[in-house]
Amino acid sequence: MAVFKRTTKELIISISEFFDSIEIGLLVFREGIKSYIEKDMESFMRHLEKVDTLENNADRLQRSIENEMITNSILPQHRSDVTKLLNEIDEIIDTVKKSLNEFIVEIPEIPSSLNKEILSLVNTSASAAEELIPAARAYFITPHTVREKLLKVYYFETETDKISFNMRKRIFQEMNEIDLAHKAHLRYIIHHIENISDLAQKAADLLSRMAIKIIT
Amino acid sequence: MILFFLISGLFLGWSLGANDASNIFGSAVGSRMITFRRAAIIASIAVILGAVIQGAGTSATLGKLGSVNAIGGSFTLSLAAAITVYGMTKFSLPVSTTQAIVGAIIGWNIFNGNTTDSGTLSKIVITWISGPVLGALFAVLLYILITKFKKSAKIHLITFESYLKSGLIIVGAFGAYSLGANNIANVMGVFLPAFNLQELNLGLFSLSSNQQLFLLGGIAISVGIITYSKRVMDTIGGNIVELTSEAALVVVLAQSLVLFIFSSTALANLMIRIGLPPIPLVPVSSSQVIVGCVIGIGLYRGARNINFRLLGEIGVGWIATPLVSGVITFFSLFFMKNIFNIEVGHKIIEGVPESSVMTGVSGPEMSEIMKYILLGILIAGSVIGLYYYLLERKKTRELKISEEKFWKNLK
Repeated sequence: MAVFKRTTKELIISISEFFDSIEIGLLVFREGIKSYIEKDMESFMRHLEKVDTLENNADRLQRSIENEMITNSILPQHRSDVTKLLNEIDEIIDTVKKSLNEFIVEIPEIPSSLNKEILSLVNTSASAAEELIPAARAYFITPHTVREKLLKVYYFETETDKISFNMRKRIFQEMNEIDLAHKAHLRYIIHHIENISDLAQKAADLLSRMAIKIIT
Repeated sequence: MILFFLISGLFLGWSLGANDASNIFGSAVGSRMITFRRAAIIASIAVILGAVIQGAGTSATLGKLGSVNAIGGSFTLSLAAAITVYGMTKFSLPVSTTQAIVGAIIGWNIFNGNTTDSGTLSKIVITWISGPVLGALFAVLLYILITKFKKSAKIHLITFESYLKSGLIIVGAFGAYSLGANNIANVMGVFLPAFNLQELNLGLFSLSSNQQLFLLGGIAISVGIITYSKRVMDTIGGNIVELTSEAALVVVLAQSLVLFIFSSTALANLMIRIGLPPIPLVPVSSSQVIVGCVIGIGLYRGARNINFRLLGEIGVGWIATPLVSGVITFFSLFFMKNIFNIEVGHKIIEGVPESSVMTGVSGPEMSEIMKYILLGILIAGSVIGLYYYLLERKKTRELKISEEKFWKNLK
């Protein structure tokens, strides 16, 4: 029984650390894009490295949590749901890392007139994912509060969609000074940033179903 | 020869263990909260302890219904009950060992021209109804308590599940103990009047004649648990409504409480001492109590998918099982007495002590056999325990090595 208690504690800590990695990853993502916009490449590279470490850590923790749950027969009834949730959340930090890598590989040229909007898009999209984490933490302690916490995720996802739509509309209809290839490239970058909030929404849908299941 | 006569009782015990252990550990094993091996070991030990320590109360009640005063009668009666249980299970009809044995005793009474004590009979029949109802009440109360506690305590889901896991083991052990205490009467109750064994002194404690029989019956139940209950355990749980982990714990606890209440002599005495009517010590069907518990929780949660047909089937079982068992017993006794020429019992005469008409078993040789059986079990238990411990250790070590290799390769 003592061995079991130790495993339980370790598992709770691992889950908490996993969520911490995602939260910090999102903060670093914001700062990273900000550095890119401000053309501070040294700072950007530092942030990219940090995200890389966090993503690796999240991957390691995810695997270890899954292993522990299976080998010690923990949460047998909710195990597959929890595993799916961790997978969905892990995809968020994967996308964050991918987005930052795209910036360093493709070096997109962002017109200064779009700086404010890009930062706003990054903030809103990251906020959607950030709001998911307290809800995911609440699933384990106060599952009846999960759904109200998820409302913010849906709000920020809708806001992200609006900002992205307006940006794309502005790029393709108003910014005649840049060529079509540049426009397409910008659309691609916007799509990737927007993708973070879409993934957060997907995880929120799953979490919402899980919460209903556990309360009833 | 003595042991041969006990075979029908032991077979009944085996089938009880095979079927009823799933009521205690079924949900926990089915949902992989506890391994079958661990559940079987705990249930086996607890069931034997319950039978030996607390089995006397319910057996005395069955004795009042009909004191079977020949070992041939006990054998036939027990065999008829076992055939009823087996046959009805085979045809997927609702059946309970308790009801089968009661029907068999009534059949024996009719065959020998004895009158069945209507007071005792009505007491038994009332508990068939009150058992599931009480189970439902306990289950709802416990369920409210556990859900309120879960909501207000704000415990981490994983910690809560670990508490549940420990709870299921403790409650399961209590459930098995109560099952042994309450249902041993079904297995060995009819043999008690026909057996008069020498007290068995084991140094630290001694076992009376009845306790020695209960020990044998308990072992038979344990063998049933170990050899056949896994199949039943794997399928139980989703029969009536789907059970969550906490509901499973509540159901087992409520069922154990009902079985314990209807078999505790101390509790019955306490009720008398405080001026309340005594609790009847009657063997109740654990399967029917568990159905009551699950339906209670289902109704509380407002579930619409409850299998109400099961309730009807239980009602049918209350009448059909004793009837079938009684008829089989009557005809079996007839064949035993007239064709095989085996003494199956006498008419009980008012005022004449039981011992003067009893054709039973006594003597020190049986106690010697019991001593050897106990020693054999102790040795076999130790060997099996050691084997499983080493197996578990090997598995854990292999798992650790494979984990270490995995992370090393990943790096």
